[in-house]
Amino acid sequence: MTIVVAYKWAPNPQDAAVGSDGSVDFSRAKSAISEYDPVAFELARQVADATGAEVVGVTVGDASIDTSLARKAALSRGLDRLVIVADDRLAGADSTRLAAVLAAVVRGIGDVDLVLAGESSVDVTEGQVAMTLAGQLGWLGLNAVSSVSATDGGYAIERDVPSGTASMVLTGPAVLAATTDAVLSRVPGMKDILGAAKKPVEVLSLDMLDVSSAQVTLTAVSASRPAAGNRQRVIIDGSDPTAAAAELVGALRAAKVL
Amino acid sequence: MDFGLTDEQELLLDSLRELLERECPESYIAELDRTHQAPTSFRLALHEAGFASLGFPEEYGGTPCDAVTLMMLTERVSQQGLNNGYGIELLQAKDILEFGSQEQKADILGLLAAGAVPFALGFTEPGAGSDNSAMTTTAVHRDGTVTFNGTKTLITNALDAKYLLVMAKSSDGDDERTAISMYLVPMDAPGVSTNKLEKIVWNTNDSCEIFMDDVTLPESCLVGRQGNGFRQLMRNLDLERLVIAATCLGLAQCAFDDAATYASQRVQFGKPIGSFQLIQLKLTDMAIKLENIRNFVYKTSWMVDQGIPLRSQGALCKRYAAMAAFEVADDAMQIFGGIGVNAGTRVSRLWRDLRGHRFGGGTDEIMVHIAGRQIIREHR
Repeated sequence: MTIVVAYKWAPNPQDAAVGSDGSVDFSRAKSAISEYDPVAFELARQVADATGAEVVGVTVGDASIDTSLARKAALSRGLDRLVIVADDRLAGADSTRLAAVLAAVVRGIGDVDLVLAGESSVDVTEGQVAMTLAGQLGWLGLNAVSSVSATDGGYAIERDVPSGTASMVLTGPAVLAATTDAVLSRVPGMKDILGAAKKPVEVLSLDMLDVSSAQVTLTAVSASRPAAGNRQRVIIDGSDPTAAAAELVGALRAAKVL
Repeated sequence: MDFGLTDEQELLLDSLRELLERECPESYIAELDRTHQAPTSFRLALHEAGFASLGFPEEYGGTPCDAVTLMMLTERVSQQGLNNGYGIELLQAKDILEFGSQEQKADILGLLAAGAVPFALGFTEPGAGSDNSAMTTTAVHRDGTVTFNGTKTLITNALDAKYLLVMAKSSDGDDERTAISMYLVPMDAPGVSTNKLEKIVWNTNDSCEIFMDDVTLPESCLVGRQGNGFRQLMRNLDLERLVIAATCLGLAQCAFDDAATYASQRVQFGKPIGSFQLIQLKLTDMAIKLENIRNFVYKTSWMVDQGIPLRSQGALCKRYAAMAAFEVADDAMQIFGGIGVNAGTRVSRLWRDLRGHRFGGGTDEIMVHIAGRQIIREHR
């Protein structure tokens, strides 16, 4: 049995520059495991430790995602091995195409019954890849997953839903997108990092995969920041807490919030 | 010459950054400083993530690691604003791994693995600071036991520690090279008492006086050979100086970053104070000092990794780093003006803590004594 972690080698938002027009420039940002993905690595490792499954990392993107650093960064987070598709034809690929390539890789690995991913990538933040991947595979897809554990013949799942938390069990193969706080991911230590260099890595050619060429082109035309709200910028003197609370309630009522 | 990081160093620093963000934010450090508490939970997190056993041999559960990488980690923890947050364990393990008995190794490394402070270094006495030969604490060996009498002072982390690594005179004679021995004395042994000292620096490390009145222990408390204590002590002091220098580098970098950010935001006379050349002059000179400290620390670390004898290098590095880092923090205080001296500001804590490194681990002046003698010897 194999658990796949689908992750992204993405620009680190801490290095991003925000322009005066609100645009975000990632061109000078160093890349790292996308900030929302370590939780998927950790969940996969925990389930695998309980079931004896193998954990395989899968990532796809342009040629720059396959570096020695990128490989070790992923493999130090509890993976048993790694499969990469790094091809400049995937530069700027939309989420549907990325999901199609991921699906082809997952099918090629075989014996996979769980794919775990973060809830979205940290740079694009559309949150579409995991559920599109489920669709491509014809599997069940669940987002907002806050807990996964192995049961006899399946998995117990908890999901964050608007009314609280929903518990469920699943038996078949599934793609699960985990919430950012589903689990506290471990910090790789020196042993993990040194051990990463010894783990197997398979680099697949895009041409070898059963993926059709992109049929639809998507071109970004423009972007703008959200309209700023009408902020009142009222500061309430808190030296008298009772009076401050009354003034706050009054201000909220005047604004028709209460 | 390659100044870049290896993949492993980059990933290790990434991991440490993640751990620091999670376990050691500024609010945590500020609270420890305010309440004079040790960073126990962060220390435990470091151990759980495997950072605290870096540099230990594999047979003792550690992971071998070069000095350059260890100093990078020390610098990074200090850059968070935490004084003496990393590196001390390496020194403690080294002393015992090189000279301790099997039982002592198992005990001390077990404590380190549990995130505890195994021992405090009990060298300084009221009449014997830099001058070890003036030490008056005695260790009398008789019928398989050792009896200690004497007072130690300015002992860092003793209240947190299980043992005191005591340097004491085990024989008569003025030659410190043969009169002094090294012992592990349990802090809860009958006859050991402490008096906590209130100080204005290093609030996250306790300091105290320790009194030993007829403390009698089995001779198995001896570390290494009797009469070899001074040589054993000297053996790892260069590494201690290097850890202190890397700590100073990180703290000074933190002060510099805070000051530069403040200078770019604080507006006076209608513009940020960073646009005035007198402030830019300070920041420029601070940046030069940081670069010099960094080069000194990593060149010295590289020498350790290459097995090149440090001779005067460790003392030169410690003296320069401690003094220049304090100058950086002092200029940072000046840039902050009246705001910097308010209790609770980070820059004031960095300034206080860096001041302590100008005597902790050997004064600026004793570093001249150590390096100067060596320089003259090499040019005879």
